[in-house]
Amino acid sequence: MPAFQLTVNGRPRSVDADPDTPLLWILRDNLGLTGTKFGCGVGLCGSCTVHQGDKAVRACQVPLREAAGTAIVTIEGLAPRGLHPVQRAWIEEDVAQCGYCQPGMIMSATALLADHPHPTDAQIDAVIGEHICRCGSYPRIRQAIHRAAKGGAR
Amino acid sequence: MTSRRDFLKIAGSAGAGLVLGLRLQGKARPGAPAEPVFHPNAYLAIRPDGSALLTVPKSEMGQGVRTALPMVIAEELDLDWSRVELHQAMPGPEFLHLGTGGSTSVSTTWMILRKAGAAAREMLVAAAAQSWGVAPDQCRTEKGTVFGPGGRTSTYGELAEAAARQPVPKAPRLKAPQAFRILGRPTRRLDGPRIVTGKPLFGLDVRRPGQRFAAVLRCPVVGGTPKAWDASKALAVPGVHAVVQVPTGLAVIAEGTWPALQGREALAATVRWDEGPNAAFNSRDLENQMRSALQGPADPARKAGAAAPALAAAARVLEAEYAFPFQSHTPMEPMNATAEVRSDGATLWTGTQNPNTAQVRAAAAVGLKPERMAVNVTLLGGGFGRRSGTDFSTEAIQVAKAAGPGPIQVVWDRSDDIRHDQFHPATLHHLKAGLDGHGRIAAWSHHIAGGAVLRSWLEGQKSPGQAETEANGAWDIPYDIPALDIAFAEVQVPVPLGWWRAIEIVPNVFARECFLDEVAHATGKDPLALRLELLGRRGRVKLGGEDVDIARLRRVLELAADKAGWGRKLPAGHGLGLACHAYDRRTYMAEVAEVSVKKGQLQVHKVVAAVDCGIVLNPEGLAGQVEGGVAWGVSALFSQITFEKGRTVQENFDTFPVLRSPDMPRVEVHTVASLEAPSGMGEPPVPVCLPAVLNAVFAATGKRLRRLPILPADLA
Repeated sequence: MPAFQLTVNGRPRSVDADPDTPLLWILRDNLGLTGTKFGCGVGLCGSCTVHQGDKAVRACQVPLREAAGTAIVTIEGLAPRGLHPVQRAWIEEDVAQCGYCQPGMIMSATALLADHPHPTDAQIDAVIGEHICRCGSYPRIRQAIHRAAKGGAR
Repeated sequence: MTSRRDFLKIAGSAGAGLVLGLRLQGKARPGAPAEPVFHPNAYLAIRPDGSALLTVPKSEMGQGVRTALPMVIAEELDLDWSRVELHQAMPGPEFLHLGTGGSTSVSTTWMILRKAGAAAREMLVAAAAQSWGVAPDQCRTEKGTVFGPGGRTSTYGELAEAAARQPVPKAPRLKAPQAFRILGRPTRRLDGPRIVTGKPLFGLDVRRPGQRFAAVLRCPVVGGTPKAWDASKALAVPGVHAVVQVPTGLAVIAEGTWPALQGREALAATVRWDEGPNAAFNSRDLENQMRSALQGPADPARKAGAAAPALAAAARVLEAEYAFPFQSHTPMEPMNATAEVRSDGATLWTGTQNPNTAQVRAAAAVGLKPERMAVNVTLLGGGFGRRSGTDFSTEAIQVAKAAGPGPIQVVWDRSDDIRHDQFHPATLHHLKAGLDGHGRIAAWSHHIAGGAVLRSWLEGQKSPGQAETEANGAWDIPYDIPALDIAFAEVQVPVPLGWWRAIEIVPNVFARECFLDEVAHATGKDPLALRLELLGRRGRVKLGGEDVDIARLRRVLELAADKAGWGRKLPAGHGLGLACHAYDRRTYMAEVAEVSVKKGQLQVHKVVAAVDCGIVLNPEGLAGQVEGGVAWGVSALFSQITFEKGRTVQENFDTFPVLRSPDMPRVEVHTVASLEAPSGMGEPPVPVCLPAVLNAVFAATGKRLRRLPILPADLA
């Protein structure tokens, strides 16, 4: 199998795997970055969201061949030192219940805020509506995004 | 054990109480804090640096036990909350009943944890008093420090070694709830920072040296077995190591999850199944069987007065059929377990609600004594009752044994998770209300037909408590009605059944509270006024041998109605609906929903909830549970599992839609202040949500929806 080069959380990585392997499994099984979660495998739940360049993408829908040569950021690399303001807002609003879907939510929220520094509820719903949280943390996700937008996260 | 109530009582006996001299699990790593020197019982330990290691004897699945239970210990022990670290209990001699379910984690452990904390506090105070030559009652404690006369202070860390030599008090003095400093304060979950930074916390995050991965090809028809297959196609997939047969199917062992899934797909193309006896099972035939069962004999769950003659003599009888579908749990983390079998024993790492049973069953499956089977409980990426099952942990140990040395993580994908769920059963409900000449309810009959979860739980046995368990929420109807006939008619279903968030109480309270709404409208009464009339001015009453305080239920109903503005003028197309219930006779809940229906589209705008669960340990956690319970309830209005040719029609979130952010109503939470013992909050917000919404739909449209899920045609 050919080796593929990609940048993950700022580090160049070389991965020797089937080019069709979804980035999700490369991150989790080959690179040991388990913060990116498996929820549905078909791009319906958003649990595996990471950044590819400046876009939030579903890692289960990006084959290794398309990840090659790009820069990937996962939840582990979102704030290499300390916490990203969105992570702080998440803690302040006590968003997580079971917590499983939250890394994906946070990766989408940070991409949203990069595009729309002060998103409306409708803009938040358009992005978070593509994710699933079975615990029902949606109201707090919305509050946390507004808090981060206001710079209210201490 | 004959009923779910008995099961909860056993689970409620929690750990072994105050075990002396227990060594905590885990080895010191280089750079790790020093070993605890003071560990007076199984629940807590204090290190020389003053940090506290608290053991959580319940599984965390989002309901907040890894915050609320440590708060209880920290309160009585007067710990510095910022110096608390958590340790998750494992099955063993000191933890015989770690089962988590039934919203019982707080009610069953809180006295044990209070005593554990209070005993340790008294020992620390005794050590300080002894060293200062003063009486213990001259000392006080706060934030991990003992304060003595003359400005003397010692930290718990400094006292830990001397405290360990003190006798353990048999009856430590507990704080009065009015003196609580930690309990009752909104407190963020301790795992929050680890969750938002993506730390490996869940079962699927387990990575052991030499770990391999497996996906199991299971017959889509429950009870089916592989007749013939060709493993060569799977073995040709790069990274696939082996195909092994296990009782649940064929396991593809690989170096990673993806090759395991790819290998399984290749294998699936070659397999021929013997689909077994359930290949014709389907939802339509089952519904007909349930309808027939409602005409036949049923097991009584509760009888009061003489319902049959009262119904026969009634001036008017209202009746209706309600239907609730099969449901899937679909926690966001699909089922999984990591297992290793060695010559000297075995180890499981898994997110389970039921660690002790998982231990016993996994051990039996590979011929080991339970004490040779170590069970590490990870965080659960959602549980909702699904992870009370032991199917996934037993299967993983069987795969590991068949695959040979080294740890194996058995990964279920979403279609495995849905197709091989332990489903919440479908039920049909036949309700009758006999009205006297004044329109008052003289008799109430609620017969339920469907599969019995308890039988599945007891691995096929019918227990005498079955009807009571399956009719929970129906037989404990809180209203003052002279004659009651509540019964359950079992219909055998071939698929595994399991308890779901808020269990049978969801369908039973849905039918009960919607039908009561029908009675209100049929008799020209306001739905709130009718409920208040039927609750009456009663206080404590006995329901099924348990005390229920009707006044507390009345108070939450009045509170929710008041805060929601019951009776106010609403915009066109909007409606308000309400429902109330004393959940498991312990948590008093009422909800008022405001909905609108426009162009056939139902929108649930807001749910106002009022709750009395006794002393509130963590108001932040309580609010989250109500929000989550409402989300679960609204989601359940639109989802269903159906069976065709012995298999589920649904297999992912496209065909099993669940609630998403745009459809999440605003949730307002009101709590009744109370000094009663705390009950539970994980499930109680769910059941009342469904009828509150459906009664609001009736108020908005005049359409009475008696059948779930709501389909587009229902509101067109």
